[in-house]
Amino acid sequence: MKKRILGSILAASMVAASLAGCGGSKPAETQAAAAGETTAAAATEASTTEAAKTEAASGDEAVTLKWALWDISSTSYYQPLIDAYTSKHPNVKIEMVDLGSTDYSTVLGTQLSGSGSDFDVVTIKDVPGYMTLVNKGVLEPLDEKIKADGIDLGKYNGITNQVTINDKLYELPFRSDIWVLYYNKDVFDKAGVAYPTNDMTWKQYDELARKITNTTPGQEVYGAHYHTWRSTIQLDGILDGKNTIVGGNYDFTKPYYEMVLNQQKDGVCMDYATLKTQGLHYSDAFAQGNVGMLNMGSWFISTLINKIKSGEYTGCTNWGMVKYPHAEGVEAGSTLATITALALPTSAPHKDAAWDFIKFVTGEEGAEVLAKTGNIPAMTNENIVSSIASMDGFPKDDTSKDALITSHTYLEMPANDKSSEIETVLNEQHDLIMSESTTIDDGVQAMNDGVQAILQG
Amino acid sequence: MANTQILTEAEQNNRRRQRKRALVAYSFIAPNFIGFAVFTFGPIILAMIMAFMEWDGNNPMKFVGIQNFINIFSDARFIASLKNTIVYAIFTVPLTLIIALALAILLNQKVHGRNFFRTVTFFPYVASLVAVAAVWNMLFTPAKGGIVNQILLNVFHMPAMKWAAAPKTVMMTIIMFSIWKNMGYYMVIYLAGLQGINGELYEAAGLDGANAWQRFRYVTVPQLKPTTFFVIIMLTINCFKVYDIVYMLAGGSNGVINKSAIVLVYYIYEEAFRNWKLGTSSAASLILFLIVLTITLIQFRGEKNYAND
Amino acid sequence: MNSITVNRRIGKTIIYIILFLLAFLMLVPFVWMITASLKLNKDIFVIPYQWIGYEPRFANYVDIWTKIPLLIFTKNTVKLTLIVTFFELLTSSFAAYAFSKLRFKGRDVLFLAYVATIAVPWQSYMVPQFLFMRKLGLADTHLAIIILQAFTAFGVFMMRQFYEGIPDSLCEAARIDGMNEYQIYLRIMLPLSKPALSTLTIFTFVNTWNDFLGPLIYLTSEQKKTLQIGLKMFISQYSAEYGLIMAASVLSLIPVLVVFLSLQKYFVEGIASTGVKG
Repeated sequence: MKKRILGSILAASMVAASLAGCGGSKPAETQAAAAGETTAAAATEASTTEAAKTEAASGDEAVTLKWALWDISSTSYYQPLIDAYTSKHPNVKIEMVDLGSTDYSTVLGTQLSGSGSDFDVVTIKDVPGYMTLVNKGVLEPLDEKIKADGIDLGKYNGITNQVTINDKLYELPFRSDIWVLYYNKDVFDKAGVAYPTNDMTWKQYDELARKITNTTPGQEVYGAHYHTWRSTIQLDGILDGKNTIVGGNYDFTKPYYEMVLNQQKDGVCMDYATLKTQGLHYSDAFAQGNVGMLNMGSWFISTLINKIKSGEYTGCTNWGMVKYPHAEGVEAGSTLATITALALPTSAPHKDAAWDFIKFVTGEEGAEVLAKTGNIPAMTNENIVSSIASMDGFPKDDTSKDALITSHTYLEMPANDKSSEIETVLNEQHDLIMSESTTIDDGVQAMNDGVQAILQG
Repeated sequence: MANTQILTEAEQNNRRRQRKRALVAYSFIAPNFIGFAVFTFGPIILAMIMAFMEWDGNNPMKFVGIQNFINIFSDARFIASLKNTIVYAIFTVPLTLIIALALAILLNQKVHGRNFFRTVTFFPYVASLVAVAAVWNMLFTPAKGGIVNQILLNVFHMPAMKWAAAPKTVMMTIIMFSIWKNMGYYMVIYLAGLQGINGELYEAAGLDGANAWQRFRYVTVPQLKPTTFFVIIMLTINCFKVYDIVYMLAGGSNGVINKSAIVLVYYIYEEAFRNWKLGTSSAASLILFLIVLTITLIQFRGEKNYAND
Repeated sequence: MNSITVNRRIGKTIIYIILFLLAFLMLVPFVWMITASLKLNKDIFVIPYQWIGYEPRFANYVDIWTKIPLLIFTKNTVKLTLIVTFFELLTSSFAAYAFSKLRFKGRDVLFLAYVATIAVPWQSYMVPQFLFMRKLGLADTHLAIIILQAFTAFGVFMMRQFYEGIPDSLCEAARIDGMNEYQIYLRIMLPLSKPALSTLTIFTFVNTWNDFLGPLIYLTSEQKKTLQIGLKMFISQYSAEYGLIMAASVLSLIPVLVVFLSLQKYFVEGIASTGVKG
């Protein structure tokens, strides 16, 4: 009898738990299906729904939108974006929910599992994170809404094509950072070497880095600095447009690994193992004033401007930037892009109001707010570039201004079902090669084998 | 006839008493058990079922049989994580146990500043891992100018080591850190255990002319048996569940953990929250669970045998 | 006689040398932590490291209160930690008494099931658990964290091991005196288990205080977050600012130390004098 009691308690708890688990998933699916239908239906009467929507948004019905994001206090543009939006829509309140940047994907993925989430708008941090959520089926396809509202995707310079999955688009980018080469003018002046230019091959860049390097103990100057991310080296090879990071063959990374490892050996750049262990942030490395050149994303611009203004950075007040170096025969201005986007969860309680906000942030008005705070919006035009370049604290020379103009941009990680698994393999081999635990040939071979196995599996 | 009647009555009485005692026992267990069963045990059972399913956390589950197990055993990263975890446990369990016991005995003596030394030993355990790992990484930096490397060079005339940055030494560094961080914890458990030993036993042993070693061997060790049992099981389980220490020391600034340092729970985490393959992740958890369960059962038998002696 | 005292002296000296070496090894990182918390960030990475002889800068300790809502976080953490510790002690010692001193069917199997669950990593059942809690409307509540932390198998296991060391004869005697089980638990076991209870208090306190992933997933609104989330938020937002991070770490360390120090006397007091065989 006691056994039975115990057994039934156990069984009850199991049932409860499995109900929670399975029950959580089913409604989401039906909801997604239903959502598909409604959007299809909505397309035909787009104009009427649209009218209703604007009315709802500007009407007096109070709505609070929950927006998932990270690093509220160190990000300069969230509040201005919200202020700009709510001044036009006083009935809407926007509540920011900070999920922290380190575990953002884990927490967001967990929150959106099942159907109980109450987020209206979620920020998508990177492409693997985007793919995960798309695969899980928790994001609303936006195509119908885009069509209905007549949004011109052409303004995003083709970026949206790269994140379209099976003809469906689930996110709209609002920030699009490009990679540039930052340099410290003081370091170049001291060495009596001419500044880098907007049209440099990797070979010229390597020579330049070596020229300004000083290996005398106690007065080290590093010609170049590479943060520990694999992007800083591997992705240099995809800028010719012939190779991709999800292709399964990584022989194209070899020359870049050779260049950087040789620099590391000769003291041109800091040692990867030390950088990794000590966790030295690239901004601190650059701020110390003994780094000549740093390849990094354009998000670093606003950090530099703000920290120099506040007096915290004293070693790099005289900085400039140029276009990313390129391989022989490739047009200057080819660079990497990292996008940050907004998406609409299928479980969002206030879908219409949320979509209106997404439209605002990813559209021209949002772009202006971003530009004012020193960030590069996904929807760029000449005006926006010049408004960033005219910001107080932005380098005054024309070269730096031109550095923001791109010819070709390639996503750091193109959308692929397996992107997160591919990432694991690439990261692991990058780590082994850079810490000199394996040879370049072996490491690249392991990348080829590992990724091909994933692509076939 | 009458005889059997009496017997059944006695039996019934006996049963009734047993039932009453059992009910009392359940009433003791219930408050903890209900909370535990509903919020922990249930989800755990579900996780075990998930090991045979394919699930991304949102779409409906799909039964896949033992496919998840086939997948993980053909995954080099899983094999590496299994190997590293076992290596880690083999070194960490005995070393931590011996040091913790030695410290507990030392700090159970009447020495000046006993409380100070106890607190100091317990310090690393209570400190936030993030903070102490950052400090540790500064001290054990692979750079030649690092503090520990300088000591190696100047005192022991040894070449600089790369510590957590080299595949050969990364596990050693993690093990050293783990012992340093956790020994205070087990020392406290041993201290509580030592306090439970009756002083008269030592007096009796002293009268019998036992020396310090004999007192340790024939009084302390057997009296600490339940504590040691607890410590060994907790140490083993905690070693198999190691995760954040590895992440902090081997992950560094880019969070990349290669095959030389990956451990089981990190693999479980990666499969679940990077790749959202909750099935494979649960399969790996089940393996981990079975390993620890086997070790625990062996220990249990050991404890029982001792109790029967 | 003389040689014995000499031997003793030598023994004592060796003990103290060991202890001081130990203290040194244990403390170096914390000294680093404190010195770093008093420096400007760019001075922390200067090699060779300056242990002394610099102008201490207490601004870090002031700044951290304004950069994130540290006060609210501290309040939440204190509240959660106290409640969790209370329930953990109560339910664990209660259940452990039955596991150790009462005989009933299925005891060993149930106990083994308890212990075995300690071995399952939380990450593997975190998602179903979260979905279940949310179904019950417990997402973003402190109650979820309390439930998560207050009924652990670990506490039951630890207390049971300790009770195993208390002889059954003591309970038998009490039963003959006419005490029921609840009275035995309350009047005999609890007073005897001070060292174990204080140990469990320390561990529960430390665990709840330092828990990170649980609160991170369950608590989304700013008003409910805990100190460790705050610390991590700090690190992710000011990843380069070691001075601030170390100041926050030093502060978060203090309460746990206070608890440890205040409970320590129970280890010293012990139960050796109560006439119980260990």
